[in-house]
Amino acid sequence: MKNNQIFTITCIALLFCAVTGFADADLTQSLAPITGKVFVSSTTYYPEVFFTGDKGTVTFDVMNSNTNTSVMLNHGSFSDPDIRLLSNTYDFSNPLGPLQTRPFTFSIVADAPPGDYYPTFSLSFYDSNLYHKTLVQVDNTPLELTLLDKPDTFAQGNKKTIYMQVSNPRKNDVRNVVLVVSGNGTGATPSRSFVGDLAAGASVPVNFTVTPDQPTTAILIVNYDNGDNPHSVVMEIPITFGVDKTQANPVMSNVQVTSAAGIYHVTGDVNNAGLQTAYTMMVTSLPPAVPQDPYKNYVVGALKSDDFGSFEVTFSAGNATVVPIQLSFKDADGNVYTSVQEVKLSASSQNGSQANAGSNMLPVIIGIVIVILFVGGWILYVRRIKK
Amino acid sequence: MVGQITYYIPYPICNRVVITATTSSGSPAKEIEMENSFLKILINPNAFFQDKINESESLKIPALIVLISAIISAATAYLMVTPSVKMMSSMVAGMDTIIVLAAIVATIVITFISWLVYAGVFYILSTMFKGKGTFNRTLEIVGYGFLPQILGGLITIVVALEYVPRVVVQSIPAGTTDSQVILDATTNLMHDPAMMVLTQTITLISIVFLLWSANIWIFGLQHSRLLSVRDAALCVGVPVVLYIIYTIYKLGAM
Repeated sequence: MKNNQIFTITCIALLFCAVTGFADADLTQSLAPITGKVFVSSTTYYPEVFFTGDKGTVTFDVMNSNTNTSVMLNHGSFSDPDIRLLSNTYDFSNPLGPLQTRPFTFSIVADAPPGDYYPTFSLSFYDSNLYHKTLVQVDNTPLELTLLDKPDTFAQGNKKTIYMQVSNPRKNDVRNVVLVVSGNGTGATPSRSFVGDLAAGASVPVNFTVTPDQPTTAILIVNYDNGDNPHSVVMEIPITFGVDKTQANPVMSNVQVTSAAGIYHVTGDVNNAGLQTAYTMMVTSLPPAVPQDPYKNYVVGALKSDDFGSFEVTFSAGNATVVPIQLSFKDADGNVYTSVQEVKLSASSQNGSQANAGSNMLPVIIGIVIVILFVGGWILYVRRIKK
Repeated sequence: MVGQITYYIPYPICNRVVITATTSSGSPAKEIEMENSFLKILINPNAFFQDKINESESLKIPALIVLISAIISAATAYLMVTPSVKMMSSMVAGMDTIIVLAAIVATIVITFISWLVYAGVFYILSTMFKGKGTFNRTLEIVGYGFLPQILGGLITIVVALEYVPRVVVQSIPAGTTDSQVILDATTNLMHDPAMMVLTQTITLISIVFLLWSANIWIFGLQHSRLLSVRDAALCVGVPVVLYIIYTIYKLGAM
């Protein structure tokens, strides 16, 4: 009996153990595949790359890939010693249905210096935890503002074009890129140029013109948003007045002056000794000369570099011995340039008077010859009658 | 113009022609006679005045010749004054017509005055050579001597029509009171190349035809004042040549 009881008790105990052991084994084997199919399907940082101090968000999409089993999600949290969390953790329990995805979004601020960081996203199930680490970068590289081309010098009231380029050397796109040009007396047009979004590694040209009133400094500011965080880049361009080394340079040559009855007639050539084309080259006389018809002004036209054209102007000058002749032309932007060169009249006017006297001598000679013929004819006629 | 002149002027030159013309004008015989009279004045004035001196004095035909000459000269004056009118059109608005009319009337009046002056000078000078005959007769032969002036005037008109459009006119701005500006503009106009050529050409033409007239006047004066050819030539030639020398001097001083 004692052995039977012991045997019975042992069997019952074994049976109990067997029964309970089977139950534990069955539970473990049935739940582990379920939570193993819950994972972080994607992680999105906005902005993708942070500046130090930038605020942004990170979104973890958690997906339940089980086809017929829901999973209870508890306590979603974000943690990192360098990337500070601004929003709260997810302190609630919610089931995630089969084949469903749920985002967990956290507001963060990158207080860290530039570098790579791996914050942790954790999510608790009822029997286990999910830990997920992703890379987030902090990079303080700003946009590049490049001066492609600008005139060597500027002149008061003359419009000149400055060619710029905005480049994005960062690893992420930036938004709302705007170039703002300011500065006292620069007369920049346009003063604001909207570029829009600028992709990582992309460049965009931005041109503007300045019409300075005085020597000054043009301040160029590129404003842009990294995510929702405004940033800017500043560049200064000195606007200095002077003579453009490449601009057109008209030079008069082969100047000849003649005069007729107080009207001076100046002819000559205009050579463009500069490197740029001189458009609408005009020649006229300045006081004390008074322009007279038929050539008050003379339009030579466009003169390319090393090209030349002839001109002809007429004016009266009273007793003046030197008269300034003005050469004016325009550049490609329509700015007007003038240069003045003096022409001496004294020696030339004498030549002109002689030429004028010469031109008057022919009819005088003809008149005298006619009179002589008439008188001579009558003398001969009278003598013949007397004979 | 020449055709009209040959039709109208010679009519009364010979009384015989006038009488027949009133009865049956236009016959070929009369036209030939008229042309002969016309040509006789120009080509053989000695023969013309030999016949004419036997007829009674009459200023109708000479006055008609001078009038036609004056009208043609007025037409030339109109052309010549046009650039000046353009020059002053802005400065003196509305005066264009008055200036043109003044130029035309002045030219006609001056032509008739010159007729009287020539006749007066020739009459006075011929008196020094003991010339005889009335002043009206002298006036008559001087009037006939204006016939070449008609031809010269016609040629002058053709030349003026050619050169006047080429003259570049500098308009004087409205309201200009500066005499220097006006003087400069006038000087510029007078020394315009086209204007200078025109002036020189017209002067030479007038000299040639004035000498032609002088040739007629010498024979006319010889017969009308009963002078020798030499004396008549001196009476006409001296003032005419002096006048031409003065004209040539002005031409050289331009």
